[in-house]
Amino acid sequence: MIVAEQKSLEEIRRMITPYQRVLIVGCGTCMTVCDAGGEREVSFLHSALRLAQAKTGDSQHSFSEHTVKRQCDPEFIDLIADKIAEVDAVLSLGCGIGVQAIAERFPDMPVFPGVNTSFMGMAKELGVWDERCAGCGDCRLEETAGICPITRCTKGILNGPCAGTKNGKCEVSKDMDCAWVLIYRRLERLQQLDKMRRYYPPRNYRAVPRPKRIVSKVGTAAGESNG
Amino acid sequence: MAESLFQEKLHSGQFVVTTEVGPPKGADISEMVHHIDLLKDKVDAINVTDHQSSVMRFPSLGGCIVVKEHGGEPILQVTCRDRNRLALQADLLFAYSRGIRNVLCLTGDSIDVGDHKEVKPVFDVDSVQLMKLIKTMESGTDAAGNELKGAPKFCIGASVHPEADVIEPQLVKFDKKVAAGAEFFQTQGIFDLASLRRFMQYASQFNAKILAGIIVLSSARMAKYMNDNVPGILVPQALIDELATAEKGKGLQKGMEIAVRFIKTIREEKLCPGVHIMAVGNEGIVPSILEAAELAAISS
Amino acid sequence: MYSPTLDNTQRYRGDKTSASSPDHSLIPPCQVACPLHMDIREYVDLAAQGRIMEALQVIREGNPFPSICAYVCTHACESSCRRGQVDEPVAIRALKRFAVEFGGDRMVRAEAETTQVEKVAIVGSGPAGMACAYYLRKLGYPVTIFEAQSEIGGMLRVGIPQYRLPREVLDTEAQRLTQMGIEIRTSTRVVSLDLLFEMSYKAIFITIGAHQSLRLGIEGEDLPGVIDGATFLREVNLGLKPTLGKRVAVVGGGNVAIDAARTALRLGTQKVSILYRRSRAEMPADPSEIEQALEEGIEILFLAAPVRIERRKGKLSVTCIKMELGEPDSRGRRQPVPIKDSEFNTEVEALITAIGQAPQAPQDFRLRIGRGSTIQVDPVTLTTNRPGVFAGGDAVTGPATVTEALAAGRLAASRIDDYLRHRYPLAGKDTHRVLEGELSAETVEMIRKIGRLEPPVLSREVRTSDFKPIELAYDWATAVNEARRCLRCGVGAEITSQDRCASCLTCLRVCPYHVPRLDASGTIQIPIDQCLACGICVAECPAKVIVLRKPYERRHIAEELNHALRSAAEAKLKPFIVGFCCQYGLFGTGTLAALWREAKAGIWIVPVLCIAKVEADHILRAFELGAEGVFIAGCGTQCARENTAASIRQRVAKVKKTLAQIGVEPERIQAFVLEAEQDPGKELDEFIAQVGKLYLASTLMEEVRR
Repeated sequence: MIVAEQKSLEEIRRMITPYQRVLIVGCGTCMTVCDAGGEREVSFLHSALRLAQAKTGDSQHSFSEHTVKRQCDPEFIDLIADKIAEVDAVLSLGCGIGVQAIAERFPDMPVFPGVNTSFMGMAKELGVWDERCAGCGDCRLEETAGICPITRCTKGILNGPCAGTKNGKCEVSKDMDCAWVLIYRRLERLQQLDKMRRYYPPRNYRAVPRPKRIVSKVGTAAGESNG
Repeated sequence: MAESLFQEKLHSGQFVVTTEVGPPKGADISEMVHHIDLLKDKVDAINVTDHQSSVMRFPSLGGCIVVKEHGGEPILQVTCRDRNRLALQADLLFAYSRGIRNVLCLTGDSIDVGDHKEVKPVFDVDSVQLMKLIKTMESGTDAAGNELKGAPKFCIGASVHPEADVIEPQLVKFDKKVAAGAEFFQTQGIFDLASLRRFMQYASQFNAKILAGIIVLSSARMAKYMNDNVPGILVPQALIDELATAEKGKGLQKGMEIAVRFIKTIREEKLCPGVHIMAVGNEGIVPSILEAAELAAISS
Repeated sequence: MYSPTLDNTQRYRGDKTSASSPDHSLIPPCQVACPLHMDIREYVDLAAQGRIMEALQVIREGNPFPSICAYVCTHACESSCRRGQVDEPVAIRALKRFAVEFGGDRMVRAEAETTQVEKVAIVGSGPAGMACAYYLRKLGYPVTIFEAQSEIGGMLRVGIPQYRLPREVLDTEAQRLTQMGIEIRTSTRVVSLDLLFEMSYKAIFITIGAHQSLRLGIEGEDLPGVIDGATFLREVNLGLKPTLGKRVAVVGGGNVAIDAARTALRLGTQKVSILYRRSRAEMPADPSEIEQALEEGIEILFLAAPVRIERRKGKLSVTCIKMELGEPDSRGRRQPVPIKDSEFNTEVEALITAIGQAPQAPQDFRLRIGRGSTIQVDPVTLTTNRPGVFAGGDAVTGPATVTEALAAGRLAASRIDDYLRHRYPLAGKDTHRVLEGELSAETVEMIRKIGRLEPPVLSREVRTSDFKPIELAYDWATAVNEARRCLRCGVGAEITSQDRCASCLTCLRVCPYHVPRLDASGTIQIPIDQCLACGICVAECPAKVIVLRKPYERRHIAEELNHALRSAAEAKLKPFIVGFCCQYGLFGTGTLAALWREAKAGIWIVPVLCIAKVEADHILRAFELGAEGVFIAGCGTQCARENTAASIRQRVAKVKKTLAQIGVEPERIQAFVLEAEQDPGKELDEFIAQVGKLYLASTLMEEVRR
């Protein structure tokens, strides 16, 4: 799951200051799940912005709202093209991908991010999200008993641990487990400690420069496939 | 043929003593120079720390050059926190060109414990990979496989943490470091000789020389602070209590007593081939410790 | 046009379902079991809010004579009440009685006007006849009831003793029928249907009941002192006082036998025994009736039957034989078999036979008669073999319950209307599914167990001394608390769009009863037969796709809020404070309503059906429309659902955080949880004072700014 957190109301208000008609667009997928930008959050933010406007009396926005199933596919955004045409700015509560997707599709429309997209992670329990994957493109979970050293080790080292661990916790915080202690323990349990004894060479940070691209299908142009 | 005097001393069979100086936060290095002068003839080598605890300081490389200029034997501390492979290789070539031959390879403390909490951590390589990198350069090529015009040669060291509460992963790491080319080790602060003994039993199967790290504490409060804030340091309660017994103003003396006690025991029991004394801001007292521990002055 | 379906859901409070918010509720088992298919869930819910008059209104929509049922209904609903799977069924009949007593049923006037010309005759004024008359009259027909006895009511009058159904109740209903313009001719026995047709009646409903007692078929049955139960009760109910003597035996095991026995006791008989030929488990009488009879000191001899009656020295000598249960008969009931040589003798002054009754349709009616002397009818149209002649009630089914008779009368009315309007009777189509299934053990475990609160009854000594009704009505607190035990089957949560559901599993994690679950394909389902409609998942769903199945529930709060705030625009008192207050228990009508009246500040109450349903958005809206402070008051440990207070508190915390960013102080919102009789006054006073201070501060700032 892509996990994000809503920006502060103050920051959002500052962003939309120069624009009169603002459309708040939510996302029905990841942002709904992590309570940052789904239908309910859109509605709540909408109310909060109206209320803020009423309280401070210093702005004259008119808001509208809509939640699409996903913002990262243009077909979904196209469904609200008419709504976008009626406003002066779009406040997207989608993740960073969604914000950019809308901006790309409507290059004459100012599009602002309403959430801070933070990481790929999972729910530990209701309402608590933990980062789990950095999207390094070179998954090595086979070597570390299913615990990612790049994400869960704060230094992201591959031949761990470092000397900073204390009580099985990372030097950064008493609440953060030392990933390499976790890895050691689980490898031991799986009887795969030899994997930890291997030397792991430095990461290949990028095969091609960022932003990366993956091609999963080769497209066919219309009329090409026959013969 | 040893790469450096320090390396020679390591293999000499005599008790090795190293210490460290911490560079200043600023361009005024007069105090550091003073410490270097104070210590250069009394110890076998001087480490210059590299942004210790992730606090921005005058660089280790610069400090080592000063040590060299003043006739001392430097150990360059290289952390992986701040530089990628390009920068690391470049610094090592530069260090070699200035006669610096001893390198301590460290992963480095995390950014969060330092004073520049918002900067980007690099960690392009870790300490093991760094040692391999050096070995690669020694063989005549850079990390990308290109031939070097002039290969450097170093005496490579690393750190180890014999008192880690979960020791097994540390041992795995230790093995890897030895395999990667570490000839000497400077341990984290030793406060429990029993752990050290156990560790040395394990470590004795390897060729690497282990120098026991001795931290000079100055007060119970300092000890507690280090427990809470400094990575890898764990002062046992018994020592904190002992420090607390010192009269006001005499804390440092107590700390020195404790340090000397440790050094003597290690030497007498032949636990380790040497010690690495860390005075953490009190470099001035190191000579007294050396004297009290009956460690003869070494001249290069 | 009324069609007999299970769906008796009426639309109350003017709420019309529309395409955008359809009613997907399921029909609960209580409604299915009730012969009249009353909307029990609705009126129990209203009772739980203390809204007794509205509860009564709902009752009246489904039942023309609720006061009668309130006393004597055999409550099939309670037997199928799913609360019984948790602890004990909800005391539905007692709640209906409470509604009838306190809702002012006596004052309701029934009105009708004549819009049709065809006259309808109803033969027999028992519950079926009364109901048929009522509904036909409502449809505008001129109706005449012919009753052979001197007073109307059929079995209600002559069969059921007054300690079970007070005379005044029946009289009030009779009066209502007359007020509607129904002609009632008592002491008029109908002997010929042809005559009725000659009198220009276009349709006839035969509902003569089953008053003919079955004979024992033993020697001595016709001796003086042997009375049949139906006659006995009739005489007593019509004011006669038959002499019985000191010891009386009653033969039989049904309600009539029990009624006869308890009536005999109240007439002063010292010793009353009942002889029943099977065991207690097979006794057809209402279990609570049996219980009460035993409490009153009536002896019941099980597995005993009389074989011979003789007269000796002015008393009756009854020879009885002991029985044992043998093989089951065609209906599954085990047949009693006499035990050889187990005769015993008992001496009584009177013997009352009550082994069953049968209808007695005159031969002149020329109706086809079936088994048990009952009149045969087509089950769909209720027509007999004669055109224009319909029949229903005990005359068709044999002795059955009052409520079934009412249902038959209601059905007959619509069938007669079809007939007279030359319409083919269409089978009714149920628009709602029936709720089936038992509560899972997991869900039951999470439901707080509360025992059933029974209505008070007169003590044994007091009640056997006369014919006053033995069961008293609830007091308010007990009634409301009993009603709150209802599980609200069938109005639970549903996911309106699986497409917009993000499968975030919030509903699954937040439900106190572990109801939402993933099916095999990984889709979230909220099984309607498990959901207790607490509303927490509705308020928490991040995609806002969950609703409760009754539209009133869903739109309720938003509408109430809009209404409150529009009216409050004219509020004179400041600061203006909005309170979301739970309506259940006595809070709505009692404690919190008092606050409103006292009006210490401009408090406006937005009634909510449980504070778990208040969403963060609602609170923001209150502020947006001018509220200076918002409080949420709920019933704490009294809440019939779990985790509701915790749920709303979390939302309040979130709202406070957001409001802080706008400069609205967190002190302006507060969630209160009140205990039953706790006076919220003190806490609320403090809150109001707090908000008042902030209000003054802000008005000052306003002035300064200007």
